[in-house]
Amino acid sequence: MSESAYSIKESIMQLPRNIKASISRRGEGTAEQERAAAVFGNMFLHVHPVRVHVNSLRAGYTFGLGLISFYLFLILVASGLLLMFYYTPSTELAYRNMKDLEYVVTFGVILRNVHRWSAHAMVAFVFLHMCRVFYTGSYKAPREFNWVIGVFLLLVTLFLSFTGYLLPWDQLAFWAVTVGSNIASYMPVLGDYVRFLMLGGNEVGQMALLRFYVLHVVALPLLAATLLGVHFWRIRKDGGLSRPSND
Amino acid sequence: MQAAKKEEIFPKDPNKTYSLMAIVDGDSFQVEKGPEDTVQSWPHLMVRELGLFLLVLAVILGVSLLFNAPLEEAANPQHSTNPAKAPWYFVGIQELVSYSALLGGIVTPALIVVSLLLLPYLDRNPKGTGVWFSRDRRVATILFTIFVVAMVILILIGQFLRGPNWHLYLPWSN
Ligand code: HEM
Repeated sequence: MSESAYSIKESIMQLPRNIKASISRRGEGTAEQERAAAVFGNMFLHVHPVRVHVNSLRAGYTFGLGLISFYLFLILVASGLLLMFYYTPSTELAYRNMKDLEYVVTFGVILRNVHRWSAHAMVAFVFLHMCRVFYTGSYKAPREFNWVIGVFLLLVTLFLSFTGYLLPWDQLAFWAVTVGSNIASYMPVLGDYVRFLMLGGNEVGQMALLRFYVLHVVALPLLAATLLGVHFWRIRKDGGLSRPSND
Repeated sequence: MQAAKKEEIFPKDPNKTYSLMAIVDGDSFQVEKGPEDTVQSWPHLMVRELGLFLLVLAVILGVSLLFNAPLEEAANPQHSTNPAKAPWYFVGIQELVSYSALLGGIVTPALIVVSLLLLPYLDRNPKGTGVWFSRDRRVATILFTIFVVAMVILILIGQFLRGPNWHLYLPWSN
């Protein structure tokens, strides 16, 4: 547009279209171009290829298990963020915060239930997803490394769940984590040091609660998100989902 | 035969920087079906993904409306619960620990993780990718199934058949 053509009136009239174009970074195209651009022109969707093989869409092939795991992770992030507004990682307050969620906070029970059940479900679905990948032989070349990333995702998922288990600070939480951290101390030579590092002491107490909290809300979610980014990126670099070789 | 046909329609000439992709009626090439059995991600894949997300969300909300997450009495370090159980996904390991602390608690979990990490580098048989329970990898299928069944059985025993002092008990005997 030349400078002489500029008019404020024109700008105002074109406001909606210009805002839309500035967000999508493109003008309008044919239907087919629009569909392709809807994928690669969008940061959140461009992890997808513009076209996918029909085999990837077969519900009976993946059962959507990896996707379900990811969705549960998203639900956990969202509900976990809200829970953080009501939770204090202190042995004095944590349990009272739980009771408040149950009796005082509007929809607090639902919020806590969503977080708890999604966490259990995520452990189960990540395991099922691993079984799918195994039984379809999808860890074979060139996908070996993505399987390795997956194993780390499984471990991170377990630790996320385990560190969260302590936070309500009730009898169930306290003794489950006591039992769990005792298992680590059976390691030869290093055992007691590992447990001390984990708990910030020899027993489950304030230091352990704080450590588990920081791991649970910062370190492990960041690690999981990073690994997930690599996991998804690798799916594309490895040529999309596995499929029979004779197609 | 199909391959020959592909060559005809999409000739590859290294000296050409352009090529005829297809001649079809329609608003673009590859309407709905590409030569390699691919479809547009939008809408074919993403509508399904969105549908699955809504389903997962609905199920989680439904379960959360019906069942409350457990919350017992406040933690009391002086008074241990009996039995004290790890979360269900570690209860299989706890069951193993009751047989041998070192073998069950450290060696077995470490072996499991190391085997999982090495698996794709040990099983390099290229056959049988992309189908469930391929005949070409029966041994692998059987071995992994034994592992999965063993894990499930250990978890079930630990979770439901272990009472005070980790003695065997039946869930209905109170
Ligand atoms: C937080 C946990 C995980 C998430 C959210 C996740 C997510 C996904 C998703 C969305 C896919 C696309 C296909 C599908 O939906 O099945 C996928 C594929 C894959 N995942 Fe995972 N995954 C996780 C853990 C694992 C684990 C534990 C393993 C194995 C040890 C693994 C190995 C793989 C492999 C090898 C593929 C490629 C499969 C193929 O090409 O058919 N992932 N993952």
